[in-house]
Amino acid sequence: MDVITQWLDWLPSLGPGLLVSLQLTGLSLLFGFPLGLLFAVMASAKLLPLQWVSFFFVEIGRGLPALVLLYLMYFSLPDAGITLTSFTTAVIALSWNTGAYASEYFRAGLAAVPLGQKEAALTSGLRGWTGFRMIILPQALRISTPPLAGLAVLIFQGSALAFVIAVPELMSKAFEIGSITFEYLSVYVLTAVIYGSLTLVFLGLVRVLEMRLGRHLQRN
Amino acid sequence: MGLSFGTKAPPTALSGEVVVSGLGKSYGAARVLSDVNLSMNEGEVVSIIGPSGAGKSTFLRCLNYLEIPTEGEISIGGAHVVAGGKLPDKASLDHLRRVTGMVFQSFNLFPHLTVMENITLPQRKVLGSSKEQAEEVANKLLKQVGLPDKAKAYPARLSGGQQQRIAIARALALSPKVMLFDEPTSALDPEIGLEVLAVMRDLADEGMTMLVVTHEMHFARDVSNRIMVMGNGGVLEIGPSEQVMSEPQNERTRQFLKAVLDR
Repeated sequence: MDVITQWLDWLPSLGPGLLVSLQLTGLSLLFGFPLGLLFAVMASAKLLPLQWVSFFFVEIGRGLPALVLLYLMYFSLPDAGITLTSFTTAVIALSWNTGAYASEYFRAGLAAVPLGQKEAALTSGLRGWTGFRMIILPQALRISTPPLAGLAVLIFQGSALAFVIAVPELMSKAFEIGSITFEYLSVYVLTAVIYGSLTLVFLGLVRVLEMRLGRHLQRN
Repeated sequence: MGLSFGTKAPPTALSGEVVVSGLGKSYGAARVLSDVNLSMNEGEVVSIIGPSGAGKSTFLRCLNYLEIPTEGEISIGGAHVVAGGKLPDKASLDHLRRVTGMVFQSFNLFPHLTVMENITLPQRKVLGSSKEQAEEVANKLLKQVGLPDKAKAYPARLSGGQQQRIAIARALALSPKVMLFDEPTSALDPEIGLEVLAVMRDLADEGMTMLVVTHEMHFARDVSNRIMVMGNGGVLEIGPSEQVMSEPQNERTRQFLKAVLDR
């Protein structure tokens, strides 16, 4: 088939783009998820300034479209004397975006752990960081996993936006091929297949993870 | 008890017993607990009974600061705290929680940990026990509560009665001086509740100092040395179990006992 040979021809040049997309997504999640957890914990901190800082970063991160955030950082940072590669800029913007949304999912997860668990931890001498890490957090993470997985997918797909600041990721490679061959539809269909199939594989893996995380709750 | 209330007792003289004096708690203008006094000798079992809303659980939870009392003093097993509407300093709070073991109405086992881990984790973190030491203690306690074969199970696999017995084992693992029970059988059907009461009875026989908020009148009468009746945030009366059950002095107590015994 014509299309298949065409696609096979393009794959070698799309491959590096996909790699960049995956790196961009991976790094954004790597920084964004812990950042989200930090924001979530700060949001319920006793110290008011911590709450404000959390509020500031979360509301901007959620309030602005990722595309706007990307552009703002790309054009403002050099003016502030900070010159970063477009890849680094994209990682920062998407990490912020990830952190802002993830904080809400972590917050929901933490709030869903029954108060009795905290009380049992306290009366068992597991207070402070130990109690949080050993008792509360594991239970919260299990609850937050499905929405966080959904967010990871959104960020993977959102990484295509980095195309606008010249990050050589999958979408920009596809555009490149399109502009040379004028087979725009064909190359974008291939790109869609790549994004879609990777997403499905990832969600399948998350399903397995969820089952593992919930194993202890099964009654038989 | 040779201690009079109102004077500040030296903490060291109170080891192994409970002295609560003038304990009270208010939320703004709302007074939920007022002037509760209680002294217990080592090995004594006191049941706290009374209608809902009487402040029984609030009183019990003030003793390990799950609720923060606003006035009064608490001495338990060498830990001494003067209430002031906020958490005491870390050392006092740790000490207080260290000498008290708590059993909740809803068990509150850690669902993501096995039974063994539920019992060993506090020992390892609080006492610094090695894994082997902690497991040895846990196995002994599992035998004591009649569940030696459940070490590897997760709480969700256990019945309510089994979960509560594990919760008792978990609390005992830190060798508390006083065990606090907050309606330990209220979430269980009457038959299953018996297996938990049996474990508590054994514990009392072994000389554990116990304070039990309960609606189990037979347990209160047969196992506890004294019964404290609470109503409306205060103590209505306190006395030897037989006496409180058969000749209650307070009118409200009579009314309450009639309601629970005549059903």
